[in-house]
Amino acid sequence: MSAATTTVTKGPPSIPGRARNVRRTAPAVLLVLLALCGPFLAPHTIGTPVTAPYAPPGEGALLGGDQLGRDVLSRLLHGGTALIASALLVAAVVTLLATLLGCIAVLRPALGRVLERTADVSILLPSVLGIMLIALAWPGGGRGPVVIAAIALGTPYAVRIVASAAAPLAHSGYVEAAIIRGEQLPYIALRELLPNLRATVLALFGLRFVEGIYVISMAGFLQIGPQPPTADWALMVRENAPGILLNPWAVLAPSLAIALLAISVNLASNSLAPHSVRKAVTTS
Amino acid sequence: MAGAAARRALLLVVLLAVMFAAVEALPGDAATAASERGESAADLAARRHLLGLDQPLWERFWDWMTALPTGDLGTSAHGRPVTELLADPLPNTLLLGASAFVLTVVLSLALGCWAAARPGRLTDRIIGHTATASFAVPEFVVSVLLLLLLSLWTGWLPAVTVTGADGAPATWTMLIMPVIALVIPQTGWNTRIVRGALADQSATPHVEAAFLDGLPTRHVLLRHALPGAIPAIATGIATSTGMLLGGAVVVETLFNYPGIGTVLAGAVAARDTPLIAGVVICAGAVVSLVLLAADLLRARVLGARA
Repeated sequence: MSAATTTVTKGPPSIPGRARNVRRTAPAVLLVLLALCGPFLAPHTIGTPVTAPYAPPGEGALLGGDQLGRDVLSRLLHGGTALIASALLVAAVVTLLATLLGCIAVLRPALGRVLERTADVSILLPSVLGIMLIALAWPGGGRGPVVIAAIALGTPYAVRIVASAAAPLAHSGYVEAAIIRGEQLPYIALRELLPNLRATVLALFGLRFVEGIYVISMAGFLQIGPQPPTADWALMVRENAPGILLNPWAVLAPSLAIALLAISVNLASNSLAPHSVRKAVTTS
Repeated sequence: MAGAAARRALLLVVLLAVMFAAVEALPGDAATAASERGESAADLAARRHLLGLDQPLWERFWDWMTALPTGDLGTSAHGRPVTELLADPLPNTLLLGASAFVLTVVLSLALGCWAAARPGRLTDRIIGHTATASFAVPEFVVSVLLLLLLSLWTGWLPAVTVTGADGAPATWTMLIMPVIALVIPQTGWNTRIVRGALADQSATPHVEAAFLDGLPTRHVLLRHALPGAIPAIATGIATSTGMLLGGAVVVETLFNYPGIGTVLAGAVAARDTPLIAGVVICAGAVVSLVLLAADLLRARVLGARA
């Protein structure tokens, strides 16, 4: 809701330069690329045991073996691809839906009120529980229902963010001129509002990607997403937790991978967003 | 007060209706979800009857909604009342959640004020970046790191929660790690909210006037900026309660804490939708109460000024 208010701070203005942007986004981009190319770099297959169960790091297995003696490093290199791809999918779809609905909401106040109440209701439902409910009631389960649930639960709140950023624009001169010219709703939304919401949409995408990683990995850890024997970072943490004393790397390596991914993506999206937008997206 | 409470109650009822509709609309029901291999169609029909799934939709919804105020959350897929299954673990989860909530509020207010007292300086930037980095990390990852650090390598804290005779954790030291695991991401998120609200306030004329009068920064911050920022902070922190409860559910499974999370892990394995719906109701009710408290605080602060 703070998009309409002034966001002047007493500190120096923080307008990041291009070089600083590159420096701050590089870790996230590198990590995502590494995770996406990982399967081609893996020394072993993910299914065959190469060591004793929970073997410590050593001969032939840099990070040791997991609960069935499979190579932890190979599973680690395989385990991020689907996680990142689903998180990206969730982020892209939620951002797209939220942008469209948000623009329409400010131009059609009646619909706006409905969307506002939807967001009020969705806040009451912890996303982890909501995903559990939807993914479990879905026969077959797997990654698909988790992605759909994450999109359904993430959109209402995102719509509110776009709507609060678009609300001041809806009363600007050029939008009122377009309305008086008799332009259609899609034209006003796409040609007049959207170009001015680029920064908000970009910041929203970054934050939704972080949220996507969070939600998808939580679901994986709760064993409602990918099922064994799939290699998945979150599932690896869950599966290998009983052997944490024998080979800590089987748990530590995927945990660190998730932590590094989440932190680098979050810092990157945070530094790309202009200060006013960053506040509008996080504190509404 | 009554108006705000009625509004929150109405939103909760809408959530329940949407949840009921969603579970209905999805293919598969509690009877098929809990079925075992080699079960005959007659067995399935018998369980459908037991769970009341052969009744018309509106009748079931009406029965379910009217039973709620009496504390009846329905029957789990395995035939036991959901209320009975949740009666013991719910207080434990609320204890965990409440401890983490209180600690989060204290820490994020302190860190947010500390950062706001030095706008743009190194302290502000360090707190800002640390907060941003920490709220993205899933609670189970924080738990694993804590577990390795504080329990397995140093041996300071018990790794697994041992349940006493009364169903609660045996000693309070078993609460420390789950609480820290919840507090770190929550504090990251809420510190940013506090810092943002204080930044908005420091741009208002009365705070700038106080600053230009030469009052000490600490005085300006605590007496002039903070009171005006309270409504925004209260709403922001209350909004994150859902995230806290979701995190608690996950952290509990890892520490074997005797709370809702452990019950839910079983429910996930058994595909027990009614039980999960019961947990969603409890969580929704708790979040509604916290949001109501934020509404009242907001009304009080803004009302006093009007």
